[in-house]
Amino acid sequence: MTIKRSRAAYYGKKLLIFLVSVILLSMTVFVISRLTPTDPLQAYYGERTEKMSVEEKEWARNKLGLNDPIPTQYIRWAQNALKGEFGISYKYKQDVVQVIAKRMNNTLILGGIGFVLTFAGSLLLGILCAWFEDSWLDKLLCKLGTIVSCIPEFWFSLVLILIFCVQLKWLPSSGAYSVGKADDLMDRIIHLILPMIVVIIEHLWYYAYMIRNKILEEVRADYVLLCKSKGLSKRQIMFRHCLRNILPTYISLMAISVPHIIGGTYIVETVFSYPGIGTLSYESARYADYNMLMILCMMTGITVIFFNIIGQIINERIDPRVKANEVVETSEVSEG
Amino acid sequence: MDNAIVTVKNLTHRFRLSKKTVIKAVDDISFTIQKGEIFGLVGESGSGKSTVARCIMNIYQPTAGEILFHDVNTCDKTAFRQNRKLLQTARQLIFQDSASSLNQRMKVADIIAEPMKINHITPPRGSYREEAAFQLRYVGMDENYLDKYPSEMSGGQRQRVAIARALSMEPELLVADEPIASLDVSIQAQIVNLFKHLQKEHGFSILFIAHDLAMVEYLCDRIGVMYRGKLVELAETAELFAHPLHPYTQMLLSAIPYPDPIRERNRPRMNTEDMIFDTEGTFREIRPNHFVLTKEAAL
Amino acid sequence: MTDQELFTQVGIREEKASAAAVKSKRSLPIFSIAVLVLIILGCLLADVIATKDPAYLDLMNYTKAPNGEFLFGTDTLGRDIFSCIWHGGRVSLFIGFFATLISTTIAVVYGSISGISSDWVDTAMMRVTEIFLSVPGLLVILFIQAILGDATVVSLSVVIGITSWYSIAKVIRTEVRQIRKSEYVIASQCMGGSFLHVLWHHLAPNFISAIMFMVVMNVRSAIASESTLSFMGMGLPLDVISWGSMLSLSERALMTKAWWIILIPGFFLVVLLVCLTNIGNWLRQTANRKESNL
Repeated sequence: MTIKRSRAAYYGKKLLIFLVSVILLSMTVFVISRLTPTDPLQAYYGERTEKMSVEEKEWARNKLGLNDPIPTQYIRWAQNALKGEFGISYKYKQDVVQVIAKRMNNTLILGGIGFVLTFAGSLLLGILCAWFEDSWLDKLLCKLGTIVSCIPEFWFSLVLILIFCVQLKWLPSSGAYSVGKADDLMDRIIHLILPMIVVIIEHLWYYAYMIRNKILEEVRADYVLLCKSKGLSKRQIMFRHCLRNILPTYISLMAISVPHIIGGTYIVETVFSYPGIGTLSYESARYADYNMLMILCMMTGITVIFFNIIGQIINERIDPRVKANEVVETSEVSEG
Repeated sequence: MDNAIVTVKNLTHRFRLSKKTVIKAVDDISFTIQKGEIFGLVGESGSGKSTVARCIMNIYQPTAGEILFHDVNTCDKTAFRQNRKLLQTARQLIFQDSASSLNQRMKVADIIAEPMKINHITPPRGSYREEAAFQLRYVGMDENYLDKYPSEMSGGQRQRVAIARALSMEPELLVADEPIASLDVSIQAQIVNLFKHLQKEHGFSILFIAHDLAMVEYLCDRIGVMYRGKLVELAETAELFAHPLHPYTQMLLSAIPYPDPIRERNRPRMNTEDMIFDTEGTFREIRPNHFVLTKEAAL
Repeated sequence: MTDQELFTQVGIREEKASAAAVKSKRSLPIFSIAVLVLIILGCLLADVIATKDPAYLDLMNYTKAPNGEFLFGTDTLGRDIFSCIWHGGRVSLFIGFFATLISTTIAVVYGSISGISSDWVDTAMMRVTEIFLSVPGLLVILFIQAILGDATVVSLSVVIGITSWYSIAKVIRTEVRQIRKSEYVIASQCMGGSFLHVLWHHLAPNFISAIMFMVVMNVRSAIASESTLSFMGMGLPLDVISWGSMLSLSERALMTKAWWIILIPGFFLVVLLVCLTNIGNWLRQTANRKESNL
C-alpha cells in the first residue's frame, strides 16, 4: 500500500516538474520573442508595411492585439492555447495548426526514420568496434568516425549535393517530392536519400563510440572472466551478458536524444529546401510570426522536457543508485 | 572552573534525513574543557562524537543549546561574526582521514601556509616557506617534504602535515576528530606521542576523539563517554578506569585487550552486539568530579 | 613448469597489450598540434602569406578555378580564395576562442554558485538551464541576434558564447558539489577561507582538469557554429571574411559547379575541427588517467 502511494507520489512529482517546466518555457519564449525588435507586421503584410502610414500600422497592431502589455498578451494566449486555439500565422494567414500539420509529416519521416537507423546503426557499429578492439578495423572506424563527426552538417550536405546532384546528376537536390508527384512513393524516397544520409551520419558516430566504450568497460569486469572460465564462448558472453547490461543505459540515452535527432533537422531541411518544421521555425523566428513561433517552440520544448523526464525515470528505475546518490548528496549524514 | 576554554551547555543536534526521519545525533549534552587539558571523547561509531566536534568548530549549527569559547557564544551568529578572527585562529581542527583533509593538488608548503595566508598573518620567520619548514620540523618531519604532494606521503606523514597546518596558527584549542583511527598501530603511537609532546610545549587544550580506549587512557586527562548521542559518563582518566559506573562504560573497558596473553585468554567477555543500554535519566555527580547518566540517585 | 607457464595456462590477462594501448592513448597528438599551430601561424601571418588583397573584388576574374595566379581560385565575387582563407581564418579562430572565453566564464560562475548553494537554489538553477536547453538552440541564437542588432565579429561571439555554456556549467556544478563536502574544504572554511579563496585554491584546480577538454571542444563547436550561422545568413555578412561567410557563397557556386568555392574553405574548416577534437580527446584521456587506472 505504501509502495503504491509512494510510486504515485513519485510520478506525481515528475508530472508537476513537467508542468512547471512547460509553463516557464512558454513564458520565456513569449517574453523573449516579444523583446526582439523585429516587426511582426512585416510578417503579416509583407512588403506593404513599408508603404503603410503610422495610423494604419497602429490600427493593425491594435487589431492583432500587439499593443497590450506583454502579461495581458500572454494570459490571452495561454487561455486560448488551453482551449486548443493557437491563433493564426501572420505569414500564412491560416490557423497555425493547419500550417504545421502539412509539414509535420515530412519532418517526422526524416527525423523518425533517421532516428531508428541511427539507433540500430550505432549499436551495430559499436559492437563491431568493441568485438575487434584495437584491430585495424576498430582503429580505422575510430579515426573515420572522429573525422566525420567533425564535419559541419551544412558542409556535408553541400558536398553530397555537389557530388550526387551536380556532378553525377543521380539524385534531386531539393524538396520532398517532384512537382505533381506528391503521392509517388519512389519519388519521395529518392528525395529522402541525401537528407537522411546527413542526419544519420551526423549522429551515428557519437552514439556508436559511446556504445563501444561502454562495452569495453563492461568486458573488463570480473564476471566476464568468470563466464570465460565457465567455458562460455565470446559471442555468448558478449550478447547474453555484456550487451544486456549496457542496453538499459543506452535506451535511456536514446530516449533523451529523441528530440535532438528528430527536432535537430532544420539545418538539413534548409540546405535541401525540405519543407518541414525546421524551415518553418526558422522563418517564424526570423519574421516574428509570434503564434507560429510559440506553438513550434512549445512542441519542441515539450518533447525535450518530456523525453528528459522519461530518461530520468528509466535511469532511476534501472539503477536505484542514481536516486540513492541524490539522497546522500542532499542530506548531511555524519559518522561518529 | 574559571579556567574553562570551552563550555558546552545542553547541546543538541538533529539531522533531517527526509521529511519524516530525523536523527538525534547529539542529545542534550554538557561538559567543559579546561585550559591546557586533553579531553577525550570516546564511544562507538555513530554515537555523535564527530558531530560534537563539528558543532564546536561551527561546521554545524546546533539545533539547541550553546557552546561558549572563552566567553563567546559561538552559536550566536552576531557574536560569531564579531569574534570571527579569534575563533578562526584560536580553534583548529584535525580530521580522521588525512588523505581527504589535505588538498591533493597542493604542495605541503602551501598546505601548511594556507591558514596564515587566509588570515593575513605575516610569517614570524620571514617567508611562508620558512614558516612551513619550521612547523614541519616541529612535528618531526624533514624539510625535504615541503615540495611533495600529499599522495606521495604515508598516512602518518600526512597526519603530521595536518597537525603542522593546525599548529601554524598557534591555537588555544585543537579539535582532533579521530586523528589516529586510520593509521597503523605503530604510527598511532607516534602521533599520540606527538600530541602529548606538543601539548606540553604549547600548553593548548585538545579535544581528542577516539574509539581506542588504550590510547585515550594514555593521552587524556579527562574522558567523556558517549552512547547514542548522550554523554553517559564523564570523569578523570584514572577515576574512570578504576570505577566505571555506567554499564556501557564497563562494557567498553572490558573490551580493551590486555597485552598479556594468559590474562587476555581468561578474561570474561560480554556479548557486545545485543546489548542495549538505557539512555534515560539525569546526569549526576556520583563521586567527586565523576558524572554519570543514571536514574537512581546513587550507585 | 615455471610460474609464467602456469599463469598462461589458467589465462593471465595480457599485460603487454594493455600497456601498449595505454601508451598510445596517452601519447601527445603531435600531428594534430602541428597542423593546428600551422593554421594559427598562417592566420597570424596572413598579411605576409596572402598573395592578393582578400577584400578586392576582381570583376574580371570571378569564379575562376585554381590556377597559377589564384592558387585556390576565386569566388563568385572575384575574391582570391587563397588570401581569404588566411584572413578569414583569423576571424573564425577569434570567434572560436572569444566565444569559448565568454561561455567558460559564465559556466564557471554559474556552475560554482549552483554547486555551492543550498539544495533548493541548486535545483532551481539547474531547472532553469534545462528550460533554456529545451528551446531549440538556433532559435535562441536568432532571438539574441535580433536583440543585439546587426551581426559583427564580437556580437556573434557573444551570441555563441551565451548559448553554449550549459554543459560545462553542469560538469563544474557536479564537481563542486562533490568536493565541497570534502574535509579539506571544510578545513579551509574553518580557518576562515572565504568563498573566493575556496573557489580559487581548492575547487578550481580540481574542476579545471575535468573541464579542459570540454573547453577545447567548445572552441571547436563555436567555430562550427560560426560557419553554420554565417552559411544560413544569420551570422557574419559577406564583406566580413570568415570561413563561414566564404561558404555562404556555396549555393551560387553549386549552380556553376565551382567546387573549389565549397571544398577548399570547408576542407580547412574540417581539418581545424579534427585537430581540435583530437587534442580535446587527448586532454580527456589524461584527465581520466587517475580514475580509469588501466
